[in-house]
Amino acid sequence: MEPDHPSQPGRRSVLVRLGTAAGAAALAAQGGIVARSLVANVSYDTPSRMKLGLPEAFPDGLTLVPDARLFVSRRGKRFRVLSAVCTHLGCTVRVEASLRPDPTDPDARKATQVFELACPCHGSRYRADGANLSGPAPRPLPAYRLILAPGDGQLVVDLDDEVDPGAELTVP
Amino acid sequence: MAQRRFWSLRPSTAREVAEAIFANFLLHWFPARMRASSLAWLPTFWLGTATWVLFVVLLLSGLPLMVFYIPSVEDAYRSVKDIEHVVSFGWWLRAVHRLGAHLMVITVTLHLARVFLTGAYKNAPGGYQRREWNWVIGVAMLFSTLLLSFTGYLLPWDQLAYWAVTVGTGIVSSAPVAGAILRETLIGGREIGEATLVRFYLLHIVVLPIAVAVLFGYHMWRVRKDGGLAHGDGDDGRAEVPAIPMVVRRIAVVTMATVLAVTVLAIFIPSPLLDPANPDVTPNPAKAPWYFLWLQEVVTDTTVRIGPVRVNGALVGGVILPLALSVLLTLWPWLDRSPAGTAGVAFPRERRIQNAVFLAMVLAIVALTVVGLMRGPSWGLWWPWESWPAMPTRL
Repeated sequence: MEPDHPSQPGRRSVLVRLGTAAGAAALAAQGGIVARSLVANVSYDTPSRMKLGLPEAFPDGLTLVPDARLFVSRRGKRFRVLSAVCTHLGCTVRVEASLRPDPTDPDARKATQVFELACPCHGSRYRADGANLSGPAPRPLPAYRLILAPGDGQLVVDLDDEVDPGAELTVP
Repeated sequence: MAQRRFWSLRPSTAREVAEAIFANFLLHWFPARMRASSLAWLPTFWLGTATWVLFVVLLLSGLPLMVFYIPSVEDAYRSVKDIEHVVSFGWWLRAVHRLGAHLMVITVTLHLARVFLTGAYKNAPGGYQRREWNWVIGVAMLFSTLLLSFTGYLLPWDQLAYWAVTVGTGIVSSAPVAGAILRETLIGGREIGEATLVRFYLLHIVVLPIAVAVLFGYHMWRVRKDGGLAHGDGDDGRAEVPAIPMVVRRIAVVTMATVLAVTVLAIFIPSPLLDPANPDVTPNPAKAPWYFLWLQEVVTDTTVRIGPVRVNGALVGGVILPLALSVLLTLWPWLDRSPAGTAGVAFPRERRIQNAVFLAMVLAIVALTVVGLMRGPSWGLWWPWESWPAMPTRL
């Protein structure tokens, strides 16, 4: 048997190192394969582009779309769609109405009804247009592009296309 | 003398003690003779043993629950409702499992606090021990216990479960760079659903229990390799007692006391089951499990504005702070410069500053937990004797 020498490793030690390296590489690769398999390739989540219904189905004001966690905001013929998912940690916000003194009334006798969006999880508050007012929410609620489906005239939202909070769709 | 057929719990000679240890799989964990000081009640409160007993109770109570539980979005809630209301003594099994989990979080935390305060992770002067590594294994078991409890939290698929996991995985997604992909991998998509339930179920019943069992085995092996508990370092073998029956008797007492506590508590403290999970309606208030309430307070109060950028409290309080605390906790044995003679000594003068800082942090966590318990509708603060105002549950 050829003896090992520090400057000239023998066949045995080279084979041991090769075997160890191959074993480690195989384990790392198998670990990587298992880890990769855990990242889903197919999503069975709610599709990012979906029909919400006909415009006339939504009354004036804010309406929560069930299962989509979205608000449709309607003012006459103008429509917007707003996420109902709090930007802090993902809870569903709810509409809260409160009475505030009317700023146009100098005697502060009149009250006006103000709608705000409140998150029950950590107390974040948003204006009805989605701007974050108070609490830990770091960003406004995102607004998404809204179009009319060419065929049946339903409102279609694209959750991959975030738009300016003021952007509105005017329905003829 | 005729050889005994079975090992004896009442050995009359040193040879019989040794034979019992060698012949018995469970007793093999112990040396034939142990320091008498290791068996004392006071320095350790036997919290590690109580934690292990609770783990076994959780394994045993989990098995019948697995017979009835169905890990699917369609059936999970109904099956837990069946366990609670239809299965004979199902309510008690579920209560034992739930309370056992809560108690295990408490005992493992107290065990860690005791080891810290007595410097029991330190090695004896000139010692051969590697106790700092057992501390690291202990910290890993604390985190595994918290994860076990948290993954079990989702399984009933009720409102409590759904929103606690929404918030918990929301924290994961606030991690920089890899946050979104980590969350997607954890919950198996962008929304909490079937894939999440299956993943959490597997973590809860297979991955994490095996991890705890393996870590525990290593933990116990290290205690023996390190020559027993730190507070017995000074004994020098002067006061040794036979492990049988001394340690077996103590373990039996701790086991019976722990099982008795869980059994009785489970009769009087029912397990909650709220409405089925509903992604459209977040309950008001929606709270994390009690052991994460302090973190929930931190994530609420740490959204800060730095110049034009608003940093999410979820990143500060949910990722940076817990990560920093975990790293500090894990590495503490190497940062602790107090003399080796303080190993296993309760509140020694040389360690008074680090013990005071540790206790101050524990107090801060307890205070934040109390604040979290007092949170009511719309995240307002309410005294325990105040009743919450009626809030609309649905728009």
